[in-house]
Amino acid sequence: MKNRKLLTGPYLFWAASFIIIPLLMIVYYGLTNKEGSFTLMNLARITTPENLKALGLALLLSFISTLICLVLAYPLAMILSEKNVNQTSFIVLIFILPMWMNFLLRTLAWQNLLEKNGIINMILEFFHLPDQTLINTPYAIVLGMVYNFLPFMVLPIYNVLAKIDKDVISAARDLGANNFQTFSKIIFPLSIPGIISGITMVFVPSLTTFVISDLLGGSKILLIGNVIEQEFKQGSNWNVGSGLSLVLMIFIIASMALIAKYDKDGEGTAF
Amino acid sequence: MIKNGLKRFYLILIFILLYAPIVTLMVLSFNSSKSRSKWGGFTGKWYVALFQNQDIMNALYTTLIIALVSALVATIIGTAAAIGIQAMKPKFRTFMMGVTNIPMLNADIVTGISLMLLFIAFRFSLGFMTILLAHITFNIPYVILSVMPKLKQTSKHTYEAAMDLGASPVYAFFKVVFPDIMPGVFSGFLLAFTMSLDDFVITHFTKGPGVDTLSTKIYSEVRKGIKPEMYALSTIMFVTVLILLILVNVTPEKKASSSGQKQEIKKKHRISRFIFRKVVPTAIVIVIIAGGFFYGSQNSDAGNNQVIVYNWGEYIDPEVLTMFEEETGIDVVYEEFETNEIMYPKIQSGAIAYDVVCPSDYMVQRMIENDLLAEIDFNNIPNLKYIDSTYMEQSRQFDPENKYSVPYLFGTVGILYNKTMVDEPIDSWSVLWDPKYKDSILMQDSVRDAFGVTLKYLGYSLNSTDLDELNEAKNLLIKQKPLVQAYVVDQVRDKMIGNEAAIGVIYSGEALYTKQENPNLEYVIPKEGSNLWIDSWVIPKNAKHKENAEKFIDYLCRPEIAKMNFDYITYSIPNSEGRKLIEEDWMRESKVAFPDPEDLANCETFKFLGDDNDAVYNQLWREVKSK
Repeated sequence: MKNRKLLTGPYLFWAASFIIIPLLMIVYYGLTNKEGSFTLMNLARITTPENLKALGLALLLSFISTLICLVLAYPLAMILSEKNVNQTSFIVLIFILPMWMNFLLRTLAWQNLLEKNGIINMILEFFHLPDQTLINTPYAIVLGMVYNFLPFMVLPIYNVLAKIDKDVISAARDLGANNFQTFSKIIFPLSIPGIISGITMVFVPSLTTFVISDLLGGSKILLIGNVIEQEFKQGSNWNVGSGLSLVLMIFIIASMALIAKYDKDGEGTAF
Repeated sequence: MIKNGLKRFYLILIFILLYAPIVTLMVLSFNSSKSRSKWGGFTGKWYVALFQNQDIMNALYTTLIIALVSALVATIIGTAAAIGIQAMKPKFRTFMMGVTNIPMLNADIVTGISLMLLFIAFRFSLGFMTILLAHITFNIPYVILSVMPKLKQTSKHTYEAAMDLGASPVYAFFKVVFPDIMPGVFSGFLLAFTMSLDDFVITHFTKGPGVDTLSTKIYSEVRKGIKPEMYALSTIMFVTVLILLILVNVTPEKKASSSGQKQEIKKKHRISRFIFRKVVPTAIVIVIIAGGFFYGSQNSDAGNNQVIVYNWGEYIDPEVLTMFEEETGIDVVYEEFETNEIMYPKIQSGAIAYDVVCPSDYMVQRMIENDLLAEIDFNNIPNLKYIDSTYMEQSRQFDPENKYSVPYLFGTVGILYNKTMVDEPIDSWSVLWDPKYKDSILMQDSVRDAFGVTLKYLGYSLNSTDLDELNEAKNLLIKQKPLVQAYVVDQVRDKMIGNEAAIGVIYSGEALYTKQENPNLEYVIPKEGSNLWIDSWVIPKNAKHKENAEKFIDYLCRPEIAKMNFDYITYSIPNSEGRKLIEEDWMRESKVAFPDPEDLANCETFKFLGDDNDAVYNQLWREVKSK
């Protein structure tokens, strides 16, 4: 068994060089000013009203998106887990295949769909329904988040649901449980690791995105990801950008703690 | 039955949600108009153009090879790691899984930037290798997370039994454990491949000059509108994979459901898995290697005689580069940037020794002030005589002695409006604050442009550093925000062509193009004055091929070359001889492209205001955006 542990060697080396050290560099930049001396000012920048608002809005929108993803994904995962034959190919078809079209192109395509003279409004007009303002609203951003991150909610839930022993469910039924009871007492509790994993996998990228809010929000809505991106790109202030990233990392660490608590065995991994 | 119907309905709904944008892209690939928001009739010409576009084919090749190699390496390292982690004590296991989760949960932008900081700190030159390293890094976790669950399902006992029966550990592993975890390994590989293909942010930060993946290529095209060839390419890639999947999966499914025997199904699955695992990857490898020979043969002569050019996206006629290479025998390594602010840190860090760069006025000044530029030897640029002296004079605002820069293109910032959507003649910035046009105004999404416009409207200098003036401008911008449909940079063009908005703030160079696409559009420089900008060629101090850079600049100053670039980009050229060569009268005499001096009376050029003032501008802009 000793030998098998050695197999982790290359990965340990890799992780140290390309995950840990770069992170430490972010920490270094985040805790120093341009002259290289220690400061907490970069972290404190999160408390300015605009940054707090951007963070709050990002938290709100990603919370809503996560909720919608969960509500959409759970029934979907249940339906998929009931189908026994060849579900893998169907899942690939539905979730992996779209990724072969570039992420930026797919998000840009939503602009075409949502615009004032876009396809959705054309359809509404055809049925003599009133036009809707869709693009450049928080709703469009939420839609973009749900669209892009839904697979990361469905796959973990599907994985845990598919693993549930069918005999357990039969046993519950034999003991007189109805559909609702079987669900609330058996299926749901067993699927919690997948749900938690899914929530973090959707929540974190939604929280940090800047591309989606730029393309679908018309840049009118500033999320914390946009603030960080601007610090790095427009302001060229890497120290403040790193400081704000460190603040965001608190949420990431919290998510990891959540996973560690509810999904000890890594059952709810996405893939 | 009703329940099943509901389920089917639900699946179809999700399917529509996921596939609506994809169908849109496919439709766009047959749109004969170049603009995203206008249907110009059915055409297949982009599919033909695609295969003639060497840039895109090169980017495709780079993308595929990076995806394949990074997925392969990640699969090997990741599978080994998963086996090792599985054998660890729970405490270490949790720790290792925690580390593994970092790249998956971390914001892409943080991962990308942290890797860039690492590469720069350790003097790795950014390029193909750094992208590959970055991709392997974010791919490994996907492999580990797909292999781990399969490993848990394997029984330790069979492995031990094999060893008891005399198998060596390696033999036992490949005969007993490996077949069981194979599906996990394969799906890990597939995921890694897909993620690598789809990544943009991390590639963006870790790539070097002359290397482009499809993502970064698309991003640099967002500036000037996506080339329809990209839609065509995406459609082809998508359809290819779809067909492969159908071939592999559908045939066994039909037979399986009719026969119903479990053994039978398993066999069929095994066959399909075999195809999936062996045939498909082999086919991919063959295609990529063949492609590599094909394109590699065209690129292999990259010697030392080269010039590394760093220019705005879509800011030169590619034909010009080819002609320059043929005439001089100098290889052009060409790299694009999207904004001055992205370009600057790359030059400053010195990570890449660019030979010739094309920054805007205020950025030239900043680079001069920070001692990043080399003096140009004007003896090597005899064609400078074709550059109109007016623009050399204008350049003195940022390059006081005309020592560091040669003007390339120039223009103004003004209002583009749709004649059919506005009632009154437009001649003032005030229209941007007219409640009548609520939700029909497109504003520039860049600090200096947005504030420049507002400061000019208020009658101040667009280089103001007076806090009261800036606050006044900020309040006005906040007042304007409810009227603004969107803050955009490059999409003004597409949106105006598609009649999405009545009024947009835009660069004059775009105005000529938009007018060709939508005759209802007019451009005006407001009477309060505006920004006159000049993009100039400069040579960084650390350039390795300074003489080639000067040859390159000289070549671009030739009248016929300047004219070719004008035809391609439609941005105004300061080359007075080149202007005379423009065939179409309305273009040559266009007041939009070549404004009279009196139109420019109130115009100013941006100046670099210092890091502290930049920070003030950024802060105020953020206050506007977060309202």
